[in-house]
Amino acid sequence: MNRTATVIFAILLVSGFCMLLFLTSGYHGAQGNADNPYLAAGAAETGAVNLVTGIYLNYRLYDSLFELLVFSMAVLGVRFYLNADESQKPSVVRIAESPVVRIAADLLFGPIVMIGLYLIVFGHLSPGGGFSGGAVGGTGLLLCAAALGAEVVARRFHEQIIEQIEWGILLVILLFAIVPVLFGYTPLTDLLPPGQVGTLLSGGTIPIYNVLIGVKVFIGTWVVIYSFIHHRGEI
Amino acid sequence: MTSRTVLLLLLPVLAIFSLSQRRRLTAVMGMGLFSLVLAATYLFSHAPDVAITETAIGAALVTFTYVLAIRKTGRLVVVCDEAPRLVSREGGKIVGLEEEILAGFARELGLDLVVRIVPRDDVSAVLGRGEADIGGGGIIGEVRDKAELATVGFLPSALYRVSGGRMSDVKHRMEEEYFEDTLEAIRERRPVSVTLDLARFLAASRLNLSGYNVERVEGEFSYCFLVSSDQPELLSQLNAYLERLTKSNEMERLIGRCMS
Amino acid sequence: MESINGIIIAIVLFGIGIFALIIRRDLVIKLLALGLINSSSVLFLVSLNAEGDGIAPILYGPLAANYVDPLPQALVISAIVINLALLALALVFVMLLVERYHTTDSLRIAHEVEKERQS
Repeated sequence: MNRTATVIFAILLVSGFCMLLFLTSGYHGAQGNADNPYLAAGAAETGAVNLVTGIYLNYRLYDSLFELLVFSMAVLGVRFYLNADESQKPSVVRIAESPVVRIAADLLFGPIVMIGLYLIVFGHLSPGGGFSGGAVGGTGLLLCAAALGAEVVARRFHEQIIEQIEWGILLVILLFAIVPVLFGYTPLTDLLPPGQVGTLLSGGTIPIYNVLIGVKVFIGTWVVIYSFIHHRGEI
Repeated sequence: MTSRTVLLLLLPVLAIFSLSQRRRLTAVMGMGLFSLVLAATYLFSHAPDVAITETAIGAALVTFTYVLAIRKTGRLVVVCDEAPRLVSREGGKIVGLEEEILAGFARELGLDLVVRIVPRDDVSAVLGRGEADIGGGGIIGEVRDKAELATVGFLPSALYRVSGGRMSDVKHRMEEEYFEDTLEAIRERRPVSVTLDLARFLAASRLNLSGYNVERVEGEFSYCFLVSSDQPELLSQLNAYLERLTKSNEMERLIGRCMS
Repeated sequence: MESINGIIIAIVLFGIGIFALIIRRDLVIKLLALGLINSSSVLFLVSLNAEGDGIAPILYGPLAANYVDPLPQALVISAIVINLALLALALVFVMLLVERYHTTDSLRIAHEVEKERQS
């Protein structure tokens, strides 16, 4: 169909859909602590001060596991389709970097990785968590790759071992969450006690999951970025 | 009028601005800015976890991934419309006389050659926006805007004007942008009114042109390349390369091989 | 002006995203519009209970303060990271398509695929 018909159809479709959404979205979630079960018993049962982390790593752990699986599949797909034929490599010479990028990477790489580690380890006490911390760490590594060159960073990072570490961590997470169920334990509170709310070692198994997920997301992000860079030569 | 309302009102403005751009790089930057404002909105909606995640992912990683995918460093980008024998697509490769000339030029400069097929009238617009380096695909040197830079001609050509066709099927009149659409229109006997250069006219004359008026435009024309006007040294390099080809009879050999 | 809340803006952004997805022909802009639709869904879920003065659900104080509902935020955090990975995968396919057909025009790519299927 020609262009005017497409535009009119698009306007009708979008306005109809939006009208439908407006008419049916009257939901306002539960407020206060009287009728919200998470707020009432969350801190005592999970042991985490940050209730959001407490929910997605304790009450809804298996949702997070499946999301991690989806992430792994997407990273695997990117890795497979972009490096399918290693034989044809275009020869792109390394573009000379300006000293601004180099100096900024020198100054900023340490703090960025430190912030990422803080977000991962303290995920149950302040805003953060495994996903955020892993993404921030990936950004730091990206800055390093922009300054030094991706091939240098990949060689330092032992690219072959990184993939095995990533799949190994996924296996550890899955075993950690599924195997205790087979033996009759609940895998969340029976393995480690909740501990004192507010300290670092509280929260049961939540810090362990945070660290594992953080490392997994970090490596996954780096693999995606490196595949994009490697597909056509340097930045 | 809290700050949260101000940020929320800013979001559709940024979205419309960045999705209506012609240049892809500006659109990507606009969406990066949109991501940052969205992260501030999450912060004011009492969701600091989501704000940190959105900042790290949307503003940094997504923008960087897009820029990696559409960058043109280390490439020589050529925009053209398809012209049989000059530059045309067969399977996954581009073949033709102009492609051979430009491939040699790119090899000399040490860059990768990337050919992008766009509609015929968009070639000068894309060059003006700076998204490509060289324009090709049967460009006639004498018929163009004075604002673009053109190289020396490397092959003589002619202009033909094809018009007519039965005007009874006016409701099938489609906008013809690519050369393939023109060929299809001629095949289905729709009204066309185009000016074709020699290579395209030879391809079109293999079809049945009996219902159309064909007239040859008087004058001397020749094919050339266009270079975007903010790269004058590329123009002089390309001119030097073309003269070297012509002088060493390499051009004759290429013409003989591709246009036979 | 006081009734402008996140839910309305999220639906408006969703509409803008779908509109740009249909109208624009460039494949990269279509992917950007898909990312916008993802972001608008996340904004909708986060702003379900964000009105008035609440506090982020991090229990530093006594339990009597008015905390915001933590469940939609928990659903949405991992979704943002997954969106990045899926966007990268979609971008890989766009790159492979552009390298094969030498154009980023979606109508022309559909045309070429149709021609190849007929022959």
